[in-house]
Amino acid sequence: MTQIIAIAKRELMALYYSPIAYVVLALFALGTTMFFFLNFETGAAATMRNVFEGVVWLMVFLVPAISMRMLSDEFRAGTIEMLMTSPISDTDVVIGKWLGAMGFFVTLLSPLVLLTAVLEIFSSPDYGPIFTGFLGLVLVGGLYLAIGAFASATTQNQIIAFLISLFIICFLTIIMYYLPQASFVGGGLRTAMFYANVNHQFEDFNKGLIDIRNLVYFFSGIALFLFLAIKLVESKRWR
Amino acid sequence: MIEVQNLVKWYGPTLAVDDISFSIPKGQIVGFLGPNGAGKTTTLRMLTGFLPPTSGTARIDGSDVLTQADAARGKIGYLPESTPLYLEMRVEEFLHYRGKLQHMTRQERRARIDIVCERCGLSHIRRRLIGQLSKGNRQRVGLAQALLHDPPVLILDEPTAGLDPNQIGEVRKLISELRGKHTVLLSTHILPEVEKTADSVVIIAGGRIVARGTPDELRRKVSSGSRVLVELQAEPAAVSAAFGAVPGVTLVDAVTHEGWCRATVTPAQGLDVREALGRAALQNSWPVREMRHEIATLEQYFIQITAQQSQGAEDAA
Repeated sequence: MTQIIAIAKRELMALYYSPIAYVVLALFALGTTMFFFLNFETGAAATMRNVFEGVVWLMVFLVPAISMRMLSDEFRAGTIEMLMTSPISDTDVVIGKWLGAMGFFVTLLSPLVLLTAVLEIFSSPDYGPIFTGFLGLVLVGGLYLAIGAFASATTQNQIIAFLISLFIICFLTIIMYYLPQASFVGGGLRTAMFYANVNHQFEDFNKGLIDIRNLVYFFSGIALFLFLAIKLVESKRWR
Repeated sequence: MIEVQNLVKWYGPTLAVDDISFSIPKGQIVGFLGPNGAGKTTTLRMLTGFLPPTSGTARIDGSDVLTQADAARGKIGYLPESTPLYLEMRVEEFLHYRGKLQHMTRQERRARIDIVCERCGLSHIRRRLIGQLSKGNRQRVGLAQALLHDPPVLILDEPTAGLDPNQIGEVRKLISELRGKHTVLLSTHILPEVEKTADSVVIIAGGRIVARGTPDELRRKVSSGSRVLVELQAEPAAVSAAFGAVPGVTLVDAVTHEGWCRATVTPAQGLDVREALGRAALQNSWPVREMRHEIATLEQYFIQITAQQSQGAEDAA
């Protein structure tokens, strides 16, 4: 466990030393504030729902930028050799790195806390849905970062890692949103596709619900992609 | 301490390491020599558990590197080829991180970091960013992290690559100081380095062990092992005849050089013919300018044996 924490800390530190982190932080703060003030007018509902919905779309592009160097940079620099010859498991390495990136992602959400405080000053928001919304955002972030961990384990090149995770995330958001609406997609398949859609799964959290089905979706998605990332790292030994 | 048995590694259709076996007793420094692409790094990577062997076993202090991986890895200090480091970390920070991955407590880390920084000459640059260090200093950081958890076995892949002669000397001195307490396996293609530090040498070429022994033993094996070079004032033909008549001399090559006759005399294996040559020159009253005994270097042996190996490979093909 100490080893996982050590790897997570280093990952978090490495993110803060890279310029990408600040670009992502700035874009995220800009985007969230924009979404907030677009809906900020007299008579509008005092919720964060619209903001959170926009944030989930923003994450499609920004989260892959956080995760793209996670493992690919270790492969490129050769530092993976030191990790893989230390008395720790490959699982420790991947989980540690994912946790470090999660730490960064959570700090990324801090502008949203400030915006909630602005809402409190001007009206009296209902904190239930805001809390579950934050929980939902953390789960979506966790899933996207797990996808990013998998993508960055496939290559030494950060750009390729970014594009692979962007592609998988777009598949789970945009394609799984528009494709089920096509006329040729039948009943059972349509339901399955809607279930696979990340935005659809996030919706319930945004409404203020914590549904076990949504939790199962996110936790199994995170576990699946982290498992694939671990297997990819292990497979480097056999090549 | 290190036991390797019938280690084989295939990279797809390419055979990189072909049935290597050796064992290294505790406290020895062993040089692992070979031309580029001979399979040195692959063998070392199999010993550290980074690559699994296609077949065969390797044990570090009794722990199998595959089936008892964590135990084996904990006993190894490893400096990978080209010293990969996190450039954005400070020296001390990086060593703490490596210590944590080696399951060391905070007190242990503090004490050991002080010791290894002192030993590797890092004390004055502990707070510097690794990215700003020179190549030599980065190499020292790599050595410091390998020594950090005081491992019984050290595996160093080209520890002096890219260093200047002074730095090479420092690294060599540091490695010599490890003798007795640590078992060291270091790979290199710089031969003088091995001649001066190693107790024993393993030479590999084309994935096979082609020779092993102490540097002295290997040097003696060089065909035309030693020669005597004589410079005197005489006719080359006469010198050839006179020196050729000396018992034990197999070959005399006499040429004119700067107005003097330079004779290169090759004696039969293990014979010292200097005294007889001196007497022959005296009998003919030839003025002698120089007489020098040339002993073969490990380098000559290395070139000879690796050339034989590639020659053999070509013949087989």
